[in-house]
Amino acid sequence: MSLIGIRQIIPAATKYFRYPLTIGTFQYCTRTTSDPSNVLNDLTDWETLNKKKKISKAMKAYLERAKEHDEFMKRQQFEYNIGKRHLANMMGEDPELFTQKDVERAIEYLFPSGIYDPAARPSMRPPEDVFPARKAAEFDEAGRPHHCLFYTGKPNFFKLLHDAADHLQQLYKYEDQVIRKKATPDPNGNLQLGGSMWVNKDQLEQLLVEKISDLEYDNFKVVMERLVSLPYSYRYKDFIEKFRKPLAVQKFALEIPKPNYDEEGRAYITTYECLRKKARGDVTIRSPGTGKITINKKDITYFDDVQSREQVLFPLIFTGMQNRVDVECNVEGGGPSGQSGAIRWGIAWGLRSFVDKDMLQQMQVAGLLTRDHRRRERKKPGQPGARKKPTWKKR
Amino acid sequence: MSNVLIFFYRRLKNSSFNSSTRTLSKLQIRNYAKATSFPDYYQNPIFRKEDQVKLIADSDLKNRATVPVKPPTVSETSSVYFDPLVNKVINHVMEKGNKRLARQLVEKAFENIKRKQIERYHLASTPEEKAKIELNPKDILYKAVENCKPLLQLQPIKRGGITYQVPGPITEKRSLFLAIKWLLETTDEKERTVHFPEQFAWELLEASNNTGKVVKRKQDLHRQCEANRAYAHYRWQ
Repeated sequence: MSLIGIRQIIPAATKYFRYPLTIGTFQYCTRTTSDPSNVLNDLTDWETLNKKKKISKAMKAYLERAKEHDEFMKRQQFEYNIGKRHLANMMGEDPELFTQKDVERAIEYLFPSGIYDPAARPSMRPPEDVFPARKAAEFDEAGRPHHCLFYTGKPNFFKLLHDAADHLQQLYKYEDQVIRKKATPDPNGNLQLGGSMWVNKDQLEQLLVEKISDLEYDNFKVVMERLVSLPYSYRYKDFIEKFRKPLAVQKFALEIPKPNYDEEGRAYITTYECLRKKARGDVTIRSPGTGKITINKKDITYFDDVQSREQVLFPLIFTGMQNRVDVECNVEGGGPSGQSGAIRWGIAWGLRSFVDKDMLQQMQVAGLLTRDHRRRERKKPGQPGARKKPTWKKR
Repeated sequence: MSNVLIFFYRRLKNSSFNSSTRTLSKLQIRNYAKATSFPDYYQNPIFRKEDQVKLIADSDLKNRATVPVKPPTVSETSSVYFDPLVNKVINHVMEKGNKRLARQLVEKAFENIKRKQIERYHLASTPEEKAKIELNPKDILYKAVENCKPLLQLQPIKRGGITYQVPGPITEKRSLFLAIKWLLETTDEKERTVHFPEQFAWELLEASNNTGKVVKRKQDLHRQCEANRAYAHYRWQ
């Protein structure tokens, strides 16, 4: 993979991971440090305060911890900024305009690492990404908690379950009302959840600013699935969608390139970087054609086995274009299965410019437009293969 | 460090290549940790035309197009020559991942079936007899597998120190597995001079007529299940 390729991938990845953090207005989240005096005025029981006239020990301890944490974060931020300036100077760029994206690129360049696990490679990220957010004070000066579920230990999580259960009850009631009135259900109001999935455990933890166990995450999913399964669940669409995460964006229909024209007036399109296993290649499709296929300056007999030939023809036969376009490919690396797979994807990707919208959808459902990114899994030390273990002997 | 070395090595190696391949190889290749499988929200592809027609009829296509889909595997195509059951049988015949040979053997067996059936077709005298003869080897495979599928199975269950062979229902998947396994096991009991495709073709033809060793094996199992009916309650007691 090229450096340029990595640079394109990384911002997308960071955006994805930052996604839960951007929802700052989330109601269960008490992490935003609002003006403390304001909160205290609203929620402090002044009678108790007058009796004691002292800040509780818990509050005192909290204030100390908060101060310490603030100082720590300030120091970290300062160090991060200095590091960023150093990197910018090393790269010969303007330190003022140096962004996180540039930092990642600089580290990639200055500290090239072949370490297998991405998490173990050198990185420099802003401190708010590295150190998890903390909750603001959950109790007033007298030491009495704000939240009614404070003593569950996980108030935000249980508030979420409580709300979901409440919504369930409301929906049952509403359904009964509709049946009683003999009204027909609203045909427009249904939930489209096809393009998204539930947030995973880590993201939910970030949303709630609380650690939850696997069992609790399963409970969350059970409750939400039950809520979604009800016929009138669209009434709580906002609530449900807060915990949905969009699936990988379907690019296939968006950025279809316009074909170029050669001297003979034929439309052509070239797809570069067709990858599968260790094979890589490029595929050119010319539009008014006779179905001529050229692979590394040979015809389809470049592949000895029938299976690979079938794979090359797969997108052409699927779209019914086998006699209407010419295909030229260059492939190198890998074996017949990888090379034919790379060509298959390249042809399918290039054919997008020559087929109609319905066919595009059909190709998507057939999985022809999905890049097969799987690679050979590495061998692990202490065992004969990637997954294979030596025969188990008791002793 | 090693990456940089590889990079330069590749540049050196490719400097003699023509320009188009050089632009490809100039890119630094680094083996990143990549997922060896697709995430579980990826849906299985629906790539056969007849299945897609069903989707379009249910107007389900548009919804499905919004969800990420796994790519079809290397042996799957929308061609008329692709058949899931044939693919399954090829995979059962395959040894040590040599799919090419396995496919050749199964196709050779199909050729043998076709030859035998055509010979029989031409030997038949009346049109009624001719109409009875099935000429499509794929149909014969389907019929053979259908005839070999057991309906019951025997499970060894230990009660009071004695292992009983307890009859019970069988799942569709296991039934199919046993049918194919038995067909291939019976094919292996051949003389050394007879090749696999010949013997396999013969077994398939026998099984499709509801005769032969495999069908007998299935009937034996059914008989055994019938005899052990008295133990059936051990499944839940």
